[in-house]
Amino acid sequence: MRDTLVVAGWVLTAHVALFHLITLLLVLAGARRVWRNRHWRGVEGHDETFASPLTPAVSILVPAHDEEAGILDTLSAALGQKYPALEVVLVDDGSTDRTFELVAERYALRQVTPRPTADLPVDGEILSVHRATTGDPLLVIRKTSVGRRSDALNAALNHARHPLVCMVDADSLLETEALLQVSRPFVEDPDDVVAAGGVIRAANGALTDRGTMLEPRLSRRWVVRVQVLEYLRSFLLGRTGWADAQALLIISGAFGLFRRDVVLEVGGMDPLSLAEDAELVVTIQEHLRRNRRPHRVVFVPQTVCWTEVPESWQVLGRQRKRWSHGLGQLLWKHRRMIGNPRYGPIGLLALPFFLLFELLGPVVELVGVAAVLSSLALGLVPPAVAGAVLALAIALGVLLSATAIAVEELTYHRYGRGRDLLALMGTAVVEHLWFRWAHSWYRLCGLVAALTRRTPVWTAMPRVGFSVDRAPAERLVPVGS
Amino acid sequence: MTAVPGPVLLTSTAVTGLVVLLLLSVGGAHLARRRRELRDVARRAELTPLVYTLLDGEQTASSLADAPAVLDDVVLHLLPQLRGNDRQVLRDLLLARGVIDRAAEQLSARAPWRRGRAAMLLGATGSTRYTPDLVTLLEDRSSDVRSAATRALGKAGDVAAVPYLLASVSSARPVPSGIVGMALLDLGTAAIPTLRTALESGAAPARALSAGLLGLHGDLPAVAALTAAVDDAVAPTEVRLAAAAALGRIGAPQAADVLARVTVLATDAALRTTAAEALGRIGDPDSVPALAAGMTAADLRVRTACADALASIVPEGRERLRLLGASAGPAAPVARAALDAVSLDSPRSLAGAR
Repeated sequence: MRDTLVVAGWVLTAHVALFHLITLLLVLAGARRVWRNRHWRGVEGHDETFASPLTPAVSILVPAHDEEAGILDTLSAALGQKYPALEVVLVDDGSTDRTFELVAERYALRQVTPRPTADLPVDGEILSVHRATTGDPLLVIRKTSVGRRSDALNAALNHARHPLVCMVDADSLLETEALLQVSRPFVEDPDDVVAAGGVIRAANGALTDRGTMLEPRLSRRWVVRVQVLEYLRSFLLGRTGWADAQALLIISGAFGLFRRDVVLEVGGMDPLSLAEDAELVVTIQEHLRRNRRPHRVVFVPQTVCWTEVPESWQVLGRQRKRWSHGLGQLLWKHRRMIGNPRYGPIGLLALPFFLLFELLGPVVELVGVAAVLSSLALGLVPPAVAGAVLALAIALGVLLSATAIAVEELTYHRYGRGRDLLALMGTAVVEHLWFRWAHSWYRLCGLVAALTRRTPVWTAMPRVGFSVDRAPAERLVPVGS
Repeated sequence: MTAVPGPVLLTSTAVTGLVVLLLLSVGGAHLARRRRELRDVARRAELTPLVYTLLDGEQTASSLADAPAVLDDVVLHLLPQLRGNDRQVLRDLLLARGVIDRAAEQLSARAPWRRGRAAMLLGATGSTRYTPDLVTLLEDRSSDVRSAATRALGKAGDVAAVPYLLASVSSARPVPSGIVGMALLDLGTAAIPTLRTALESGAAPARALSAGLLGLHGDLPAVAALTAAVDDAVAPTEVRLAAAAALGRIGAPQAADVLARVTVLATDAALRTTAAEALGRIGDPDSVPALAAGMTAADLRVRTACADALASIVPEGRERLRLLGASAGPAAPVARAALDAVSLDSPRSLAGAR
């Protein structure tokens, strides 16, 4: 018993140390890339991309279910993109609120004959298709909901007409140049680039006006603040690091750009996956690697999409359980890729990391902590030893967050107010007192759901919409411009 | 696990120290940045009118030679937006301030971003003096620098760079075709003769790129070579696709027969789709039978492209669509949808249908 507890304690220590070490390496690699990109600022050629006839047209796909709180802002941001040729395909996925009515009124929708361009299987019934008569390139598909975002996206893919498709959540605001920035790799390397992702940031608490982000501000809620920090670590730096290692596994469903022909080639979105965004990226890479076709999945850290994150522990818990469940599904489905050199850095680095640290991490952490507490209670470990190890784990975690904050401030510095920066620094410390453990618990529940093959359930997140600041015209200068 | 291990304590202390240092640096950097931004805004507001007085001929370049460094940013921002004498005046100012000479030296700097930024700056000046240096950078070990050099060659406007740019698409250290394409478009119509040659005798990537660019230029003399490329069953698909799209952009009715044949008989669905789209752009009523035949294709993309093409041939194509829409079979819904769409097309969605 004594030996088991001591071993469990050391396993936890080693796991935590290794996880932080690897994540720190990723964050440093991401920071290096972000820092290097900083030197090129101003000469990226965005104006040339905007003016170039070689820039491919984009279909922005927006699946929406009960999104009346923010749908008009999301559409304003999507339709207001600085981009030479685009269309927006909104799928009203069985909304029970006024989502469709609001859009129909604003854009004077008119019903048209469906004009599919692909025939991906869709489980929900397509009820009607509408187009805007206001001059906006907006197509709206009404369908019955089967409770899966992937089904709505497949319906949108079937009606998209352009060579690139950009998947955006219905509670997200794209910055004016976001599409131009994220499409740049496709313009520059049209043969090889198959997918590109951008940075997702939390919009909660920020000031917006009709889909335009006026001033990013940090929410007063701790549950939002810890997510802001988490997004900084994982989106800004972690994914940049993975992309540099040619092992990017996830492009967020909130904002990702894909080559439409490749998405159709792999059969669109997996209808049963709870992590359909990661699932799509892994499937594409598996397919192209198996067929020995050159390809690149890239990450564009300067591109920003602002999204609404959960504002309550309950909703956050549901979201994280779903992510963990989805990750379990994904790793099981692509288990042959794990550790397989045929799939390059994805098989050798990314998938093993996600298996050991993201999926199984909560098991090790929670079992390890229980072992340490038991050891303490039984007097097997002196409190000083447990305290020192815990302090090291927390210090390593805070170091990660502090690095992310430092890189953010030295490169993009989106948070102009000093107090927001101070609040972020404080969050870096306090998140380890409770968020980390609650997060592990949610992930463990998701893992159990995946292991017991529970029926995947996609639950919609309650929306509060964006903070509105009906600002005078002179203040309407979007950030990032 | 019974005694506090020394390394754990030591590491904890070191990590904590590092965290404190980082957070203090962040605070310091935040304050310094705010001050610097305010100062730069003030300086820009002060210097920008001086640049305009220089352009108006009320000042000389030498009078601004010792102005603060932020003036260079103002000038470099304005430079790509100007042409002719105004551009020359700003170039002289940069020369007088030593900016151009410093950039030329930086072309061999160790840091890739220095080489890249220097190349971009020299390209923005519109001078052909540095073309050989920029061509050398097309083989740089950094892909970012190769891309920057490519863009710079396009901005510099030296048509002598065209063969090098085309070759860079398929060199050992290739430059992505999109960047080369944009640079070649920047060079304008002067690049067309070399593009025509590359279409017939270049490597496959250069042929495809040349075909696409000739189409964007609307180059009528290239129609014969483009038609031959589409008709060449053993040519690489990328070349045939680009040539078919180019013929559509040019709107060459003499290519309609070949495009119609490809629409009906080719095995590659993407090629059939592109050929049908080209026929729609050309708008030749003689293509209607081929497009109607294409609407029986098994591939939905081909059917849709044929329907859209028919919808853009007025009135013959739309008449045929109405007949097809009233009939039974897989063509009917596609025909009805295409007709519905043209009755509602907005200017922006048409612009996006490339």
